[in-house]
Amino acid sequence: MLIFKKKYRVVLAVILILLCPFDLLATQMHSSSEGIITHQIGHIFFLFSMLTLIFTIKGKKLNTQRGWQSIQYSAFFFILWNLNVITTHFLDNQIYAVKLETISFGTLKVFTKTGSPLLTWLYYLMKLDHLLSIPAMIFLYKGLSNLLSEQRKMAKGVEI
Amino acid sequence: MTFSSIPILSVDILGSVAMVIIAIFALHKSKRLRDLDPDNAVFLYLLWICTGITIFSISRSFGHILRQVLILTGNTDIWKEISPYSGSINTVTFMLVGLITLFFNQIWNINVKILSSRAKTEEAHIKLRDMNHTLEQKVVERTEKLTSSEHKCRRIFEQSLDTIIVTDSDYKVLEINPAGIELTGYSRDEIIMKNMIIGSFFGDDSEWNRINDKIESKEYLLNEETCFLRPDNETLMVMITGGVDYGAFGFARTYHFIIKNVNEKKQMERQIAQADKLAALGELSACVAHEINNPLGIILGYTQLLLKNKLTYHADLKIIEKHVQNCRRVVSDLLVFSRKGSTKMSLVDVNKVVNGVFKFLNKHPDFKNIEINFNPSNESVETQGNMQELVQVVLNLVINACHAVDKNGIIDIETSRAEDERILITVSDNGKGIEKKNLSRIFDPFFTTKPVGEGTGLGLSVGYGIIKRHQGDIRIKSREGIGTTFTVNLPAMENGYLG
Repeated sequence: MLIFKKKYRVVLAVILILLCPFDLLATQMHSSSEGIITHQIGHIFFLFSMLTLIFTIKGKKLNTQRGWQSIQYSAFFFILWNLNVITTHFLDNQIYAVKLETISFGTLKVFTKTGSPLLTWLYYLMKLDHLLSIPAMIFLYKGLSNLLSEQRKMAKGVEI
Repeated sequence: MTFSSIPILSVDILGSVAMVIIAIFALHKSKRLRDLDPDNAVFLYLLWICTGITIFSISRSFGHILRQVLILTGNTDIWKEISPYSGSINTVTFMLVGLITLFFNQIWNINVKILSSRAKTEEAHIKLRDMNHTLEQKVVERTEKLTSSEHKCRRIFEQSLDTIIVTDSDYKVLEINPAGIELTGYSRDEIIMKNMIIGSFFGDDSEWNRINDKIESKEYLLNEETCFLRPDNETLMVMITGGVDYGAFGFARTYHFIIKNVNEKKQMERQIAQADKLAALGELSACVAHEINNPLGIILGYTQLLLKNKLTYHADLKIIEKHVQNCRRVVSDLLVFSRKGSTKMSLVDVNKVVNGVFKFLNKHPDFKNIEINFNPSNESVETQGNMQELVQVVLNLVINACHAVDKNGIIDIETSRAEDERILITVSDNGKGIEKKNLSRIFDPFFTTKPVGEGTGLGLSVGYGIIKRHQGDIRIKSREGIGTTFTVNLPAMENGYLG
């Protein structure tokens, strides 16, 4: 093959493909585990973006302003929340180390592979993830409120 | 290990609801922030993030609440069917939020550039506004200066006692000041509307051609004396100065003229010259008269002695006596002219003087075909003078007028009071007028236009001397073929004092 020039090699390859056809398998099958991996990547991506936001705010020295400081706190809580849910999903959806079952209304049971009570308690507490997402949302709201009031003050100052 | 599900359940449901509510509030805040400054890219970015978080919150909360409801109601299978979709939507929404968040740095930098550009634009705008303001201020100052300058020029133009005329390149009058209106005798409308040229004011076309040639060749004219003719046929001596103006800012070429009325000045100069001439002649006449008077007396005495003896050459002696008498009359007139004679001054009513002359000449057979009119003044026209001499002057003027009109003319005599406490005696005729060349000589002694033997040429010069002695003046206005007007001006007597 090497003795032929480049254009002749391409022509030869096309002829071989036409003479000897085989299955191409253009679309691949996706397993159900892809869902949780995609979801986890999403959380990691979210976590990474919040981390970037914190450092960008700090890098631009915006954290001296109350509004941006609150947004920084919000990003921090979103990071904690992401860490929390990534761990929870890892335990119950990826390695199946923990399993939760509703026994009756008001009662549930947590199973762990290892039977570790620490993991059980940890998993139970991590299920209360709203305790991290709500502060994140509150700080976001507070940050925006502060930015708005600062902006209004500036606008008034300009008017005066 | 068994746990109570109430904490998880309540935190999950209440937290989900709270997430949605706070997310909506945050979205509202970001919306207001953006409305406050729509051009701010960071605020737009915050609005996007809040929108993403709100969608995520709604999607997640809806999923969580639905999950709890389905599990509690024993519909776990349904939840298993819905769960992948709910989870996928959640994944997409928080990835979206994360994606938007990653662009914070770029958005911030873009915003800094936008704000910097805006600040520069505002700075440029302020500079431009200041420049515009300065420009406006300068325009106002310049306009004020221009207005002031225009006002000064306009005042000079309007108030000038000399005539100022601006013409176009064809000498058509564009502007003329009030002094010009008075000098030329035409109205402004007449001059402007009828497109009169400056040449229309000249009495003689050749004079205008001379002036025109001069200004065309030299582009200026300095103190040129010429004659203007008014619409009432009065001629005026004027001094004209002019120049060409090529105009600024592309305006057409114009001519500017300043015209002085030198009529009075010229008349005064003529009168002074006349007075000097007459004074010199008076001295000469007095000297000559004095030297001739004595020999004439001797000749007349001897002639009259011889006439007493009835001699054969009696007729010749009579001729000698007649001519010697004539000579003595001339000598007497010369003495009067030279003011060497003595006169007695008293209060004289000018109306009586003129009326006496009027009556005398009206009845005179030589002037019976001539219409003589007398219009006496209603006001007091008394002066300090010698009645005989004044009668002599008026008689001389009216007789001259009678000779000028031949036998079928009209003579108007008028007495009046002038505004300046003067008395005017006007004698006008419609005779042949006096030739222009003779006008300056009519008061000269021995100057006459009458045939030889009809006049001595002393009447007007003697009259002039009398009037001058009465602190008066004689003026003459004459146009050939139209007539002549003599105006005697005497001081009026008011309350025992001369005006």
